[in-house]
Amino acid sequence: MVEDASQLTAIHRGLWFLLWAGVGPLHAQASARFDVTTSNRYVWHGLSRAAGVLLQPSLAVGYQFHGLTLASGLVRHYELDRASPDELSELGSGTGHLGEDNLWGQVDFALGTVWLRSGFARYLFHGVVPQGGSGPLRNTAETYLAVGVAIAYLNPQLEAWWDVDRVKGGFLRASVSSPVMGWPFAPFFFVALDGEVGLNLGQAPDPAQPDNLANFSDRGLTHTALGLNSSFRVRHWPGLGSASINLGLRGQLNLDDATRYDGIGRTRHVIAWLSAGVTLLLGGEARTVR
Amino acid sequence: MRGARGLAFAAVVFAALLTACARTFELGGQLSPEPRPRGTSGLRAGFGRADITPPAGVGLGGNSSEGLRAHGYRLRLYARALLLEDPDGNRLALVVADLPVGSALLHRRAAALTAIADSIGLDRLVIAVTHTHSGPGHYSEAAFFNDQGSSVVGYDPVLLDSLARRIAAAVHAAKLDLQNAKAAWGSRPIWGQTRIRSLPALLRNLPPPVAPPDAPDSLALEYRLINPTLTMLRIDQRDPVTGRYRPAGAFSVFAMHGTGNASANELFDADLHGLVERRLEQHIDRDLNQHTVPSFVPEASHLFANGAEGDVSPAWPAASRCAVPVAAPWSLLAGPFIQPLWQWKPIPDTDAAACLRAARQSVERIGNAVGEEAIKLFDSLDGELTERLELARAFRTLALRQDAESLGICRVPAFGMSTFAGSADGPGRTNRWRPLGLLSLSMEQGASNPGARGCQGAKHQFLDVLFGGLPNKLAVSPKIPSFAQVSVFRIGNRLIGTVPGEVTTTAGRRMQASMLAELRRPGTSTDSALILGLANGHLGYVTTAEEYAAQWYEGGETLYGPGEAAMFGRALAGLTTELSGGDALPPSTARTISVFPGTRRALLHPGQARPAVPRFERGWCAHDTLYVDYRLGSVQDWPAASPFTASPNLEVLRDSLVVAWDDDPSVELHLRSLRQHPARWQLRWSGARSGVTYRIRLRGRLEGAPIGC
Repeated sequence: MVEDASQLTAIHRGLWFLLWAGVGPLHAQASARFDVTTSNRYVWHGLSRAAGVLLQPSLAVGYQFHGLTLASGLVRHYELDRASPDELSELGSGTGHLGEDNLWGQVDFALGTVWLRSGFARYLFHGVVPQGGSGPLRNTAETYLAVGVAIAYLNPQLEAWWDVDRVKGGFLRASVSSPVMGWPFAPFFFVALDGEVGLNLGQAPDPAQPDNLANFSDRGLTHTALGLNSSFRVRHWPGLGSASINLGLRGQLNLDDATRYDGIGRTRHVIAWLSAGVTLLLGGEARTVR
Repeated sequence: MRGARGLAFAAVVFAALLTACARTFELGGQLSPEPRPRGTSGLRAGFGRADITPPAGVGLGGNSSEGLRAHGYRLRLYARALLLEDPDGNRLALVVADLPVGSALLHRRAAALTAIADSIGLDRLVIAVTHTHSGPGHYSEAAFFNDQGSSVVGYDPVLLDSLARRIAAAVHAAKLDLQNAKAAWGSRPIWGQTRIRSLPALLRNLPPPVAPPDAPDSLALEYRLINPTLTMLRIDQRDPVTGRYRPAGAFSVFAMHGTGNASANELFDADLHGLVERRLEQHIDRDLNQHTVPSFVPEASHLFANGAEGDVSPAWPAASRCAVPVAAPWSLLAGPFIQPLWQWKPIPDTDAAACLRAARQSVERIGNAVGEEAIKLFDSLDGELTERLELARAFRTLALRQDAESLGICRVPAFGMSTFAGSADGPGRTNRWRPLGLLSLSMEQGASNPGARGCQGAKHQFLDVLFGGLPNKLAVSPKIPSFAQVSVFRIGNRLIGTVPGEVTTTAGRRMQASMLAELRRPGTSTDSALILGLANGHLGYVTTAEEYAAQWYEGGETLYGPGEAAMFGRALAGLTTELSGGDALPPSTARTISVFPGTRRALLHPGQARPAVPRFERGWCAHDTLYVDYRLGSVQDWPAASPFTASPNLEVLRDSLVVAWDDDPSVELHLRSLRQHPARWQLRWSGARSGVTYRIRLRGRLEGAPIGC
């Protein structure tokens, strides 16, 4: 009985601590992000998955406690125009618009200028295979680990991805970004340049595992890319969050047959695409002007 | 880079469109009527003051993009007025306000009121400011200072009108306080509390600057090349009851930036000047006039104005300057599929707390040291008081663009890229910033353009590396004042030249010399001259041509080019020859000015101030700090409801004795939310002792429960 009572007390104390540490300042630590982006190409890991008029809404929610952030989100990829049979599309040439869903969850840890991130991503494809699309049989999942540093002028980042479902293999992405311009007065305006390189470590066809799918044709470098992004903080609601308009221009040099693929019978060594979007950030750090 | 160039161009065009949308208006000036002789002999003097601490929510001007939105207050902001009147009826009103910059708009609005009520027009009213960087922005005649003076953008006519009314009320109170008086001028050097902050620019001057003979050898060069002179006019008034003269206050001038506080400060505060003002006021009340019970508003007044402080910092330690936000990817909820946004990443709270603490320590050290020197000077003038003090004035409004050629300045004003670096007192977030770490946009001090042609010479103008002079003409130049109000006063044997800007040490010395050169003519009795900076308007900095060529921060913000200091020198010299009293000046001296304060923004909402029942929520002690959460009034309440009702909103009691109130360097009142009603406040008093029980009193009525420390 005494032991039960002390355990109950300990549980009560633990609950009170959690309540004090977490729920109390919940409003200050919970955040949400809503994005709507439109572009003329959807590229993932250097692979062109769709071209045309695309709309990518996404929603993410997170909870920050000191330097640790738990976050989860959903991204949907809509193809708004109809693709012909030889055009690049996740849907294929059939009807419908939703080509892919991505569910993700991650934990972020920031320590000074260094941050670490680990998470998982689930890929759900909605295309019709007989019509050249990517169907549910391609559904897969990846885990990832990333580390980055934020120093003046340079923000290098290294990501390691590991497919744990249909592909089973690793992929590395190294990137670096640098601010070109930042207007110091509200409404803030930023222009940044970024570059990336992809390295396939095990997502090519494996004769020993014929059931596995492949993302790339060969081991080695898959692509290099250069982007120019701008972000205009159009509105800030004190204590609530902010809205931004984002514009991006990106070019990519394709180094793997899979990244060169641009529809049936078509390849491209160099691709370029534009994107424009709106971001709404609510809660957390977004409550104060940034 | 082509894309970045296109985006930058779009930003310039957007800024130009915004500029075009805002309204320009004409503003006349009201001069003083011809004075009427009093019929009695001797000097009369009166002091007045008004509490000008605004409600929270406005930007703290002076630190540009690093100036935060105000969330409470520490030392109250006051406008102190001294009115002098000679037997011929000549009046001169000197106002020193705890504000960041001067404003011609504020000067003209206030003068319109004082001209009617007190016969004091533009020519007899000086509104100088202490240059505290913890005072409100948004009242300038120039859009640039309203939009880029702090992180909060815009011009607020409600704030402007409120300040003008309160300042006019202070002048009126001084008129009501007019008594027979005695006065004496004196001066005293203060070494070791200030230093030259832009030494490389100062050393460019020819002939090279030399430290005064009494400069202590033990000090570093930047401490020895300052103008160390504290100049003071002591005023004693005759008590109408006893008929005896008693010390009443002083007007003094000393060159020192009002930048004791760190840029992370979010409280209204009179800063260093507030401490110096209060030290002498307390000395007069308590030590000289034996007032045993201190009153919330001191009976004495010390108007502590700024001199040629353009390149003069208080001697703060490096630890008292806060780091600035940096441009960094904002990974908040970016996830693996969405690009991170960019942000100005704020400095960690712990770092901000550390620099704020270091800054407060140095404010107290410097403020008290200068205050002690002011007391010594005041006391030393006891035997030199006289009832005779001749008053004269000359005033002129210069049309800077229209008459640029004859004035010897540039027709198109420009900010230099070096201003993006910020000053030594308050570095900006773009200090030394180079795109990709390689390409120079000259956002650094000393980034001159020696081979450049054109009137602005060595100045790198806004984005001129990319687009030449176009961005400046479209987006910057229209937001800069196009006129300057200058005046010269004679008060006894001293000349005072007022300049609407921040004059550097060497430029100030040259202007003084220009004025005195005119006085070496026979028949004059004036023997020294002062420069009163930051008065009756604001044009940024005023550097010598040599300093301008160096393009340090001050040179970058010398808006009308390298000839500006010489132009002001000539204007002051000319005015010195025009000094007069007993007359009314011709209207041409106060010509109508074209004002472009920029986009109106309703930061203050007087209609939203509504009554609320005050209440305490909780109180506790941690180390030497007493904390009290309480609800009081509305967020939009001015701490003093009217100019004359300055009284404590909150008092700390020990055994029924008041030990602190909300006009004390150790008391901070933080507004915890800008929206909630009644307003949520937190008191932080850092004077608590362990083992002592305190109580808190709100608005002189409501007392809270005892708080044991």
